Amino acid sequence: MNDILLESPPYGLPKAEKQAILVGELQRLTLHHQRYCPHYQALFGHVEPQSIERVEHVPFLTVPLFKQRRLQSIPQEQVFKVLQSSGTTGQTPSQIILDAETAKLQSKVLVKIMQEWLGKGRRHMLIWDHPNVIKDRASFSARGAGIQGLSFLGRDHTYALNDDMTLNIDAIRDFYERFGSKPVLMFGFTFMVWKYGVQALAHAGVQLNFEDAVLLHSGGWKKLQDEAVSAQTFNHTVAEHLGSINVHNFYGMVEQVGSVFVECEEGHLHCPNTADVLIRQPGNWHVVEHGEAGVIQVLSAIPESYPGHSLLTEDRGRVLGEDDCPCGRKGKYFEVLGRMAKVEARGCSDTFEGSTT
Amino acid sequence: MTWQVINPVGIAPKLAPFAHASFFAFTESLSRSLMQAPEVRLFPDLVALGYWLRKSNMLALAEGYEHLAIRPVGNVFHAAPGNVDSLFVYSGILSLLCGNANIIRLSSKTGGSADLLCEHIARISPDHPGASARFQLIRCERDDPKLTALQASADARVLWGSNEGIRALKRVETSAHCRDIVFAHKISFSVLGMDALLRVDKPTLEQLVSDFCRDNLTFAQQACSSSKLLIWKGNREKLIAAQERFWQAFEAYLGTEAARQKYQFTDSERYQALNNAQDMAMAGLVDGNVQHSGVLRVWAEKVSPQFEEAHGGAGLFVESQVSELRELNRFLTPAYQTMSYWGVDNVEEWLKHCLVGVDRIVPVGQALNFDTVWDGMDLVRVLGRVIS
Repeated sequence: MNDILLESPPYGLPKAEKQAILVGELQRLTLHHQRYCPHYQALFGHVEPQSIERVEHVPFLTVPLFKQRRLQSIPQEQVFKVLQSSGTTGQTPSQIILDAETAKLQSKVLVKIMQEWLGKGRRHMLIWDHPNVIKDRASFSARGAGIQGLSFLGRDHTYALNDDMTLNIDAIRDFYERFGSKPVLMFGFTFMVWKYGVQALAHAGVQLNFEDAVLLHSGGWKKLQDEAVSAQTFNHTVAEHLGSINVHNFYGMVEQVGSVFVECEEGHLHCPNTADVLIRQPGNWHVVEHGEAGVIQVLSAIPESYPGHSLLTEDRGRVLGEDDCPCGRKGKYFEVLGRMAKVEARGCSDTFEGSTT
Repeated sequence: MTWQVINPVGIAPKLAPFAHASFFAFTESLSRSLMQAPEVRLFPDLVALGYWLRKSNMLALAEGYEHLAIRPVGNVFHAAPGNVDSLFVYSGILSLLCGNANIIRLSSKTGGSADLLCEHIARISPDHPGASARFQLIRCERDDPKLTALQASADARVLWGSNEGIRALKRVETSAHCRDIVFAHKISFSVLGMDALLRVDKPTLEQLVSDFCRDNLTFAQQACSSSKLLIWKGNREKLIAAQERFWQAFEAYLGTEAARQKYQFTDSERYQALNNAQDMAMAGLVDGNVQHSGVLRVWAEKVSPQFEEAHGGAGLFVESQVSELRELNRFLTPAYQTMSYWGVDNVEEWLKHCLVGVDRIVPVGQALNFDTVWDGMDLVRVLGRVIS
């Protein structure tokens, strides 16, 4: 990957400078995947990489393709790790093929991004999940992969939950006694943090006061919206039970590991140097104006071992601006508006409704 | 979900003679109820059903079988499909005409027009206890023990559904004499003549695209008889001009307010269509250069039999070209149902030699019109016993 993208402060490059370099990287990756991923070539062989002058021109894959077939751009013997997103039970999981290079690059980029929010030192880490979620190292679930991916940003890793999802009060108290006044990193999936974390703490009547903690959470608001929990309620309740904590939601896809969009103090998700987003209109799939809602496309300069550098997600969102967020960070900033409403597959498929009993 | 009867009448069903007076009273009443209700106008399938059910049509239909001595087969179980909400009524009504006692299990997925139809049937049922008892609509779980018992004693079953669904139903035990009438997964296609298209005047072209949209977009391209493939017939050199002419008119029509109201795709359906196109391209079935003309279009140099499984509809047309109709014969399988055509000569002549696939040919615009002959079967004859 280009050194300027990699080594500059992750939110430091202004539009013109960033786009020139990023487009070059995405062009190179398009050619690379055309050469080495036969499925990608079958679909996008007609695209001339030289014709890619702007990020809009980079062809994009719909995300379910990673469930429908194995997409890899490396020889089998170079496969280092296969990430699997758990999805809903019964569904085929996504398969993300990593080689050592891409795995290393993704960690490096992730560290650069996270240092912006966590500082350089490794923080003491409290994970709002149970330890078994990362046990099967050969094939990670999305949750396991997320935890594994962020673990090396912290030390003294402590799991706050038991295997049965109850609070591990002893572990939490012990962690608090040792690190309550030291730099702490907390991480968990939004819904887990809420349901099995702060709500359980409230129920147990536990109130802690961490003095220097950052909580990173991800995984979507859908379930919380169903319970009518807003970001404000979430942050407020976290503060009430855990102390003065900087809470940052972030957005990312297991199909594009290492590329994360972190929410700033203004509540905006930010693109780092190595990534970009576009919003497309369903149907003609043209890019819409800033401010208009549509389907989110995510682009990343990281994926070499699998063709994941340009993906059309199933999420809706809206670009809010570029280079001019009041928080001072450069790059596009946006918001996620949730999943596209799923329709029942209509097909002639009704008399048999799913379960294979 | 418990066992729920939509139109209970409190009496046991009794078989009736063919074309009994109670049949005409029931269908006429349902026709009136549908045609007079303002809310029905929002559902073109129900409007069409109301029209089909009108008395003159039912009488004409019955008359076509008067020369035969038809008796009921007995108790008939129907499994309704989920894709075309009101399709089950047609086979149900024809079975009622034969005098059978019918139990129709509705799809749990249905909403919209099927719910409205159920309301109308429930409303008229008290006035027609005899016919209604022979036309009972139910909702229940697929594995409800009562459903299994019902099928064990059925004299015939009418099974609409996906291949997977039909296979599951076939595993349910039935009596040895039970007659299964199966409507499994089918795929349909259109053939447009390039020469005719390039000669056509503007009003005719506009009529063509609006007919094409009605056939293929009414149920989000999910009906079995809606085309998923568009075959251009004629000289390859004229292809680009013909495509341009057609798709420009198509897109212009889809952009009108009237068409936008009628033919809506959800964002998720549009996403599915794109994913489907990309997946087929990765499988090498179609070219990866996906075009947008209000719907998605992909090019297939060769039409593959695999389309019958791979193509999911939702606003996606696979296009290909043939010089002669007989070139189609290579890819047709028993799953190919309706061929709708426009600007093509000698279709009947070609059909004489087409031995596999194509159950039905209709001009573009009539693909969704229900016919008593469906998937190659005369439903009245198979739902009755013809005494010889």
